[in-house]
Amino acid sequence: MNRPPPGAPAPASPPIAPVREDRPRWFLWVALVVLLVAVQALLLGLTLHYRSSKAQEEVEARVLASAEELRKMLGADLRRVLNLPGSDEPPQLWRERAQRLLIERPELARIERRDTNFAVTRVLDTPTRSPLFVRIPRAEAQLETELACRAAERRSEPTYSRSFFVPHSDGGGIEVIDLCIAERIGEGLTGYVVATFGLPGLLDQLSASAPPPGLDLAMLEPDGTMLAHGPQRSGAGVFRASRLIDLPGTAIQLQLNSPATQPSLVPDLVTTMVIGLSLTLFGVVVLLARDVRRRARAESELAESLAFRKAMEDSLVTGLRARDRQARTTYVNPAFCAMVGFDANELLSSAQPPYWPAELASEYQRRQEERLASGAQTRDAFETTFVRKSGERFPAMVFESALRDASGAHAGWMSAIVDLSAQRRVEEVARQQQDRLQATARLATIGEMASLLSHELNQPLSAIAAYATGTLNVMDSHTPGVPLDAELWGSLHVAARQIAQQSERAGRVIKSVHDFVRRRESAREAVAVTELAEAILPLVRLQARKSDTAIEFDIDPSLRKVVCDRAMVEQVLLNLTRNGIQAMQGMPRSSGRRVLVLKARASTSQWVLLSVVDTGPGVDDEVARQLFTPFFTTRTEGMGLGLSVCRTIVEQHGGALDFENVRDATGAVCGVEFRFTLPAERTGPSAARAAIDGKSPAIVDGS
Amino acid sequence: MTTPEMGLPMVYLVDDEEVVRQGIAWLLRSRRLLSEGFDSGEAFEAALEQHTAAAASTTSAEDWPRAPSCLVLDLRMGGMSGLALFERVIARGLVETLPVIFLTGHGDVPTAVAAVKRGAFDFVEKPFSNNALVDRVEQALANSAAALLKRRELSAQQRRLEQLSKREREVMELVATGMSNKAMAETLQVSVRTIEVHRASVYEKLGVQSAVELLNTLNSLNSPRS
Repeated sequence: MNRPPPGAPAPASPPIAPVREDRPRWFLWVALVVLLVAVQALLLGLTLHYRSSKAQEEVEARVLASAEELRKMLGADLRRVLNLPGSDEPPQLWRERAQRLLIERPELARIERRDTNFAVTRVLDTPTRSPLFVRIPRAEAQLETELACRAAERRSEPTYSRSFFVPHSDGGGIEVIDLCIAERIGEGLTGYVVATFGLPGLLDQLSASAPPPGLDLAMLEPDGTMLAHGPQRSGAGVFRASRLIDLPGTAIQLQLNSPATQPSLVPDLVTTMVIGLSLTLFGVVVLLARDVRRRARAESELAESLAFRKAMEDSLVTGLRARDRQARTTYVNPAFCAMVGFDANELLSSAQPPYWPAELASEYQRRQEERLASGAQTRDAFETTFVRKSGERFPAMVFESALRDASGAHAGWMSAIVDLSAQRRVEEVARQQQDRLQATARLATIGEMASLLSHELNQPLSAIAAYATGTLNVMDSHTPGVPLDAELWGSLHVAARQIAQQSERAGRVIKSVHDFVRRRESAREAVAVTELAEAILPLVRLQARKSDTAIEFDIDPSLRKVVCDRAMVEQVLLNLTRNGIQAMQGMPRSSGRRVLVLKARASTSQWVLLSVVDTGPGVDDEVARQLFTPFFTTRTEGMGLGLSVCRTIVEQHGGALDFENVRDATGAVCGVEFRFTLPAERTGPSAARAAIDGKSPAIVDGS
Repeated sequence: MTTPEMGLPMVYLVDDEEVVRQGIAWLLRSRRLLSEGFDSGEAFEAALEQHTAAAASTTSAEDWPRAPSCLVLDLRMGGMSGLALFERVIARGLVETLPVIFLTGHGDVPTAVAAVKRGAFDFVEKPFSNNALVDRVEQALANSAAALLKRRELSAQQRRLEQLSKREREVMELVATGMSNKAMAETLQVSVRTIEVHRASVYEKLGVQSAVELLNTLNSLNSPRS
């Protein structure tokens, strides 16, 4: 993720999704919840509304059916009334038939026959109820009936009167309507048949017959005035429907009051389902919200780690560079940009890296082609030279390895580049400091030898002074003009020659010191061990003579040259020989001959072992522990730098310095051997490098 | 300064380097001084042993050296060092008659100063330029000669003392305590007169004029032994 897909040009710094602010996210969530609540409320409202309208529709349908039933019932009644025997039939028959009709149809309250003058000729009340006109006489309640009969006569069809109230003797009363049929024979009016319907009776019949039974039915005037109520009072008053029933001559509104109440939320399946779904939806939303929060957290963690990686990449001192298989640069980090001084776009867009020095470009190109050819196995580190934008060249260490994409296929190369210029400067400074230290140590060595050197110079100078003064004395006491006798002449000659010789000797001492102290260019070179030994010989002899020490060389003539810094190794040898000689000086003369041996042997095929062996008192354990500590010395005039500097020098050459007491046949200590290794010259181009890189070998036990 | 009965003054040179010995020998010769060189302390000590033995074997009572002598000694040598040799010279009681001049290098001055405090005549720093070394050698030889003379004086007194009779020695010892003649006579139970005779005889034999002189002579004789 932090790596751009190989093959595609990638920006130097991959853009990171900015961490969103919290407010819009929070706002979205509130909006979602509000919307959900609104939708749920709407859904519930719609459900309730649907259920209400469903109930209403049902009521509407029922009232329609009831109205139809009523109409049928009235039609049937009409037909039965019409079928009653006419005025030409015997009255007894009419009475019988009318009686039967009234029993069969309880809604009929009374049947009358009237003549053309509207006078009642025959009348029969229903036997199922008390007679209608008891409280008031019929004559007072026939206005509507007359109007209906006139209309029936005029229109030549059965006509219903408007409803009117007939009070009962018990204080109550019923609403009734009259059906008036004008009887004709031919064109002549013969009379009227009037049938009185009790509205409550009609409703009773209707609620008994119309499906489903038990409906809460009522009859109203078209203007809403209540006329009659059915036997059922179960209506809840919530869902009502009314139907206007047009009858010839009048109109009646039939109203149905449903027992159903306002639909409630809980007990209903649909509502339950809707609520269940809503709850499920909420649950899902909550889960979703948690999931989103987890994702957001993961995202922020990812962004954080991405930012951390980015910061890491940015703060890396090591330059990073990715190249695809066509060797196009696909990614560079800021450190690399800062290192070479080009910005990322310049580096990514140029065909040939602009940090290749012009004079080396062709060589680099070749190297790159080799790498391309070698495939994915390449994994190496090499030192190279790059050029900054300013034109400055600098040494760089490049660690390169194959880059693999997610599927493991070879996608290019990843390189880490380290600017070595600072390191080089530090190394240079360190080297100079080391050189100064070596020079100081050499001077210190000479300083420690100062007493010896002054004696060594004093001897010839004393001789010179003695001869010169003596000669002057002879000359002063000689009378001018008198020839010198031969013996005196000879003496003078000897004196003058001695003066010359001793001057020369003093000069040699000074030259040997100068040769040693002179600061030489420190460089590794192949030197024969004998050359090293000869170089220090004058100074060694100088010390050895005073203590009557014999110096012996035991150097293998077939020995290969050693690769070393000559001046430094000479100092090591001088220090070790001087230590040996001084150690032996402390011994009584009677204890044996004083011999210092300088040995050189091939240790292994790559190393040469040099050792300095004396016949002194050896090194006791107390001293041995501190021997290589700087400023540790057993001598009053010593500075204690000698052995510690020696060890440093030898280790700088990759070798090791140690020592061991030499024991004679009886096991008594009879001297000490200091030995160190130096890399031998190799035949081949990599000899010097191997010598520097090589590990110090274990010193071969010589004893 | 050379006295016939003492013989020629001799400078002994001990330095492990021949050319320095030869140079100094040449320098001394140019000032008409004889010298004998030794290449080590051991060699000189051997010669010293030989000389002492030779002196003892002769009938003459006088010890070596009989001539004014001086030892020029290099402080720093292989083998026995100059300082060690100087200790031997002190041990042999020759420090008066054989004055020691040290030759020192620059770094050895403190050692040389310590040696001078122990009785060495002087030290000369190398490289010495002019005749300073020879001048110091001559002074040392003069000292040696003086010491030899004194030694001879003392041995002469010793011999005179040995000539006294037993009674005369007794009287001399009492005189030395400052006792009067009368008291001496009572002590030795002789007459005062006898004391006076012995006393005159003692004065005459020892060559003194008074009791004070006698006391001085006795002190100078006793001091080397005390």
